[in-house]
Amino acid sequence: MWHGRGKTAIVGIGYSEITRKPEKPLGLLALDACRAAIEDAGLDARRIDGLATYPESPFAGAGNRDGEDVVSVSFVLNHLGAAADVRWYAQIETGMIASPVIEAVNALLVGACDYALVWRALHRPILRGGSAASKGAPRASGDAQFIAPYGAASIVQTHAFAWRRYMHRYGATREALAALALNSRRNANLNPRAFFHFTPMSREDYFNARMIAEPLCLFDCDVPVDGCVALIVTTADRARDLRNQPAYIAGYGQNTARRRTLLYYTLDDYMACGGSLAQKLWSSAGLGPEEMDAAQLYDGFNPSTLYWLEAAGFCGEGEGADFVAGGRIALDGELPINTFGGSLSEGRMHGMGHIAEAVRQVTDRAERRQIAGASAVCAIDGSPMLRGSGIVVTRDP
Amino acid sequence: MSGEVETTRKPVPAADELTRPFWDAARAGRLVIQRCSACGYYNHPPRNFCDACLARELAFTPVSGRGAVFSFTVMHQRDVAGFENDAPFINIVVEIAEQPMLMMVANLPIGERERVRIGAPVEVCFEDRGDGVAIPQFRII
Repeated sequence: MWHGRGKTAIVGIGYSEITRKPEKPLGLLALDACRAAIEDAGLDARRIDGLATYPESPFAGAGNRDGEDVVSVSFVLNHLGAAADVRWYAQIETGMIASPVIEAVNALLVGACDYALVWRALHRPILRGGSAASKGAPRASGDAQFIAPYGAASIVQTHAFAWRRYMHRYGATREALAALALNSRRNANLNPRAFFHFTPMSREDYFNARMIAEPLCLFDCDVPVDGCVALIVTTADRARDLRNQPAYIAGYGQNTARRRTLLYYTLDDYMACGGSLAQKLWSSAGLGPEEMDAAQLYDGFNPSTLYWLEAAGFCGEGEGADFVAGGRIALDGELPINTFGGSLSEGRMHGMGHIAEAVRQVTDRAERRQIAGASAVCAIDGSPMLRGSGIVVTRDP
Repeated sequence: MSGEVETTRKPVPAADELTRPFWDAARAGRLVIQRCSACGYYNHPPRNFCDACLARELAFTPVSGRGAVFSFTVMHQRDVAGFENDAPFINIVVEIAEQPMLMMVANLPIGERERVRIGAPVEVCFEDRGDGVAIPQFRII
């Protein structure tokens, strides 16, 4: 077991508005979330001495103007009012959303900082500078020259390719994705921060939704929003003096397996890559999938949740579709999944919503979604074929 | 669906020092893939060193042009640069016969929608995109 187990904790959660019609630039939404997290923890901004984020734009070409398209450490340093005391920061571009949390844990364990603020800000890009008015065809360079001329440069197509393989290999149908999407929507209807809080979804709604990239429909894609989620991480000793019950970080894991293709990531890699993460996650936490009271599993595209169920050992390879049927993943089921609505229905916060909900569940702060006495919950982010990072949080250290 | 939307032209490959032999061959109606002289591994997209063994001796080598559909999708979303008015259109991933997991991307005509399936055998053909640009495509055989 990992020597850092239970020595750090998440003690504050902050959300900005999650919206498709933002009234302010992304940087200001991020500051809203950061200030809300600090306040939730009962701290003063001047106590924040560590900053970390995962700043990547939601897709290539989405822009990188600081404070508008991305919110960097520099932006928060400049505008939060914590700058004088900051002594550690990191911008993580490997792994996924849990990665800056993991780095903050490491920094706290060696005393590089005492109170780390971790945020993820995401916007809904408006593609600018299209070349419609320019003469000649746009030119695709780098590896894109083998993809863009075919109109295949969107990430949704990559996921459609993988899910088609999964259906072919294991005989799964769209029923499995419907079960996941409907479960997430029901949970979002109980989550006041969710974009789809007031919007129910029926089975007919799911199957009547327009196709995006077959066999993936609109409701298999996360809902792109503007917003930010922020967390406060500190040492267990300091956590005990704060107002919230701490969510102790029991362990973490990152995906370290090698991909087998240059052009695309494929389904063939999901068990190896996801499994490499899970093995480290479970061994560091000293807990296994059977000990999780709920699982918050990444769902940027709906099939990823199914892949994580298998790769993390909640069920066997190819058994995900059966596993999610029959209410097992509902709030009152054997393994509640994405109890806050996931990215599909809360909004595309790239996994920060997953971590925040894991924290809420083990600290009795999950509102009408609370799983009574939940003692250990995992949050795993990323698409297992490509990348990922995850943590386990626990009620007790 | 609403009517025509403003469209960009379909992107064309910007051949560079590394990839020019691939595109020159395509213009001449030949499919070549970069192969490692040290270990025999095919690399695509091209690299300055082999993805399998890191050797730097790589040579563009003619391949059979045969393969099989590894996966496919019918794209409906009308936000793909240059393809705004093509939706729905088909994208396939082809596994080239010479090596497992050696992948290329292509299109099929939308008329092949009922016929395309994983494992369908395909062979290379070439699409003229004008301005001296041809891109490899595949057809079901």
